[in-house]
Amino acid sequence: MAGTLRFNVMHFMPYVHLPENHKEYKTTWVDFPNKFYDPVKGHELYQSYFEQLVLADRLGFDAIVLNEHHNTVYGMMATPNVVAAALIPQVQRARICVWGVPPNFMLPNRLAEEYAILDVMSKGRLEIAFPLGTGMEYWSNPVNPATARDKFRESLKIMLQAWTADGPTKYFGKFYTYRFLNPWPRPYQKPHPPCYIVGAGSPETIEFAAELGFGYSSVFVPQQVALQLNQKLRERAAHYGHILRPDQLPLLNFVYVAESDEQAEREYIIHLQRFFEDFARSSPQWLAPPGYLSMEQLKIRAAGADKMHGGFDFKAISSAFFIAVGTPEKVANQIGEWTERMGTNHINSVMHVADMPHWKAVKNMTLFAEEVIPRLRRGGA
Amino acid sequence: MSKFIREELLVDGVKTVVQSAGTGEPLVLFHGAGTVDGFDFAEAWARRFRVIVPYHPGFGESGDDPSFTDIHDYVMHYLELFDILKIDTLSLIGLSMGGYLAARFASEHGHRVKKLVLIAPYGLDVPEYPALDIIATPGEQLVPMLVSNFDALKPRLPEKPDMEFIAARYREATTFARLFWEHPIDPKFPRYLHRVKMPTLIVWGDEDKIIPVEHAQAWRKWIPNAEVMIVKGAGHIVHRDKPEVADAIGKFLG
Repeated sequence: MAGTLRFNVMHFMPYVHLPENHKEYKTTWVDFPNKFYDPVKGHELYQSYFEQLVLADRLGFDAIVLNEHHNTVYGMMATPNVVAAALIPQVQRARICVWGVPPNFMLPNRLAEEYAILDVMSKGRLEIAFPLGTGMEYWSNPVNPATARDKFRESLKIMLQAWTADGPTKYFGKFYTYRFLNPWPRPYQKPHPPCYIVGAGSPETIEFAAELGFGYSSVFVPQQVALQLNQKLRERAAHYGHILRPDQLPLLNFVYVAESDEQAEREYIIHLQRFFEDFARSSPQWLAPPGYLSMEQLKIRAAGADKMHGGFDFKAISSAFFIAVGTPEKVANQIGEWTERMGTNHINSVMHVADMPHWKAVKNMTLFAEEVIPRLRRGGA
Repeated sequence: MSKFIREELLVDGVKTVVQSAGTGEPLVLFHGAGTVDGFDFAEAWARRFRVIVPYHPGFGESGDDPSFTDIHDYVMHYLELFDILKIDTLSLIGLSMGGYLAARFASEHGHRVKKLVLIAPYGLDVPEYPALDIIATPGEQLVPMLVSNFDALKPRLPEKPDMEFIAARYREATTFARLFWEHPIDPKFPRYLHRVKMPTLIVWGDEDKIIPVEHAQAWRKWIPNAEVMIVKGAGHIVHRDKPEVADAIGKFLG
């Protein structure tokens, strides 16, 4: 792949201490009782997750990626900007990616301000992705999913105006009125930090990213779909006069590196299985609150969900999604092949999943940094 | 077979499907938030009335208008429709969400409404007897709760919900969410209800699992002249459990 490869570590910061009877609950999102959250254990988890991310910086990863979810064991970053702020003084070099806060759950000026603060504090190391937010977040926040896409567009428009136009300016929209849009501080990077849109591939979101010339990060879509999305995105961006760079199409993947393929699978698969079965355990109702999906998307996703039934099958799942597990050589080859095929040089790797213990995450990142990255850099230079 | 004649109209740019039967004074039925089970029960009134059953925009066979975000948009829609249908005065029956809409219409345009029937209407906040949060209730749980005896409804549902059925319900839930996701209750609504001065009948099943029967008295408090009819052994869709209620309503309408 042309250009310099870039390696991110993405972390979900899951709350791993599920109660023994958790299988009695249909999902671990939205209404999964928060009495199961123990703040003492939560504190310990934050300690080890922060350690992992600071280590990622020392190991030479290019960026650290955070994200936002609510009412769930899946992630303990309901407000990722707080986590980003805590990381900035500890992370000396890597870029900090908040990918990201769904703007619909914030006042747009306030989110523009928070991101500007992080960008100034980190001396221009912030990157931002804008998710609409999963269906689950709409059950958890007082925001109407049926008008979410309109509101999302308006929020982004306001934030871009806040960052790029000299204030005070005015904004009179459908959802928000600003008589004095004039946020202090302003971002360190000009005109604003690099921006992406995060999505699972709805055409509405792709079109919006293309229109703005933003990057696009597709999440949890099969390889085939991701390939089509990247092609579609390049075409649509070109239509609006934007040439997408490879680094604007980050490739989300799950990796685990060990001494042998067999050992990697033995150490990893159980956590990946728990990730899919327990931590990502949602329901059709949570995934699609009324109005969240267009009728067309509802039908497509319902058909896709049928195919996912039948329990966890590592071989099937790792060939359908971007999952590389094995020796440094195997993982490097796999990633090299993906980047070629997807036309990207931006590798966004989840290196800790579900209830993976600290030592495995540390080992995984260390081997990846010392054995996988150099191979790919040599090969890709 | 249905006596209804189906007509497709364009109301302010929105495709609106109207079913009508019979001749006489207009009697309009406002359906609730779901259109699963049909309107054949309304045929009983077609012997004496010109019965009109429109599909609300965003429901059943009518088209969508995503700019409808408030129940008042529907009041305006019906002013337009009634102009097209050349309806001046009418009697109005509303079921559940349609009852809320009918009460709104009657409080704003009382001089046009001769008689009003509210069947388990939605819209009042009764903290001691909260209505079921239908937005948060999964469809497969909600549907059996609509009636007291599920056998009364079952034959009208697909044996196994297919994609078309699921999509139709999702679309209606979307329309409902546009109106009620953020503000299920309008606290200002009751203060205008005293303007409902026409003869009014409130019908409620004493086994209603969606909006508890205790709401009937709350409605009566705000509409003092209203007559209340409690139907024993009936659930939310009163006329499915007890079809004979159609005759009782017919008597009230005169």
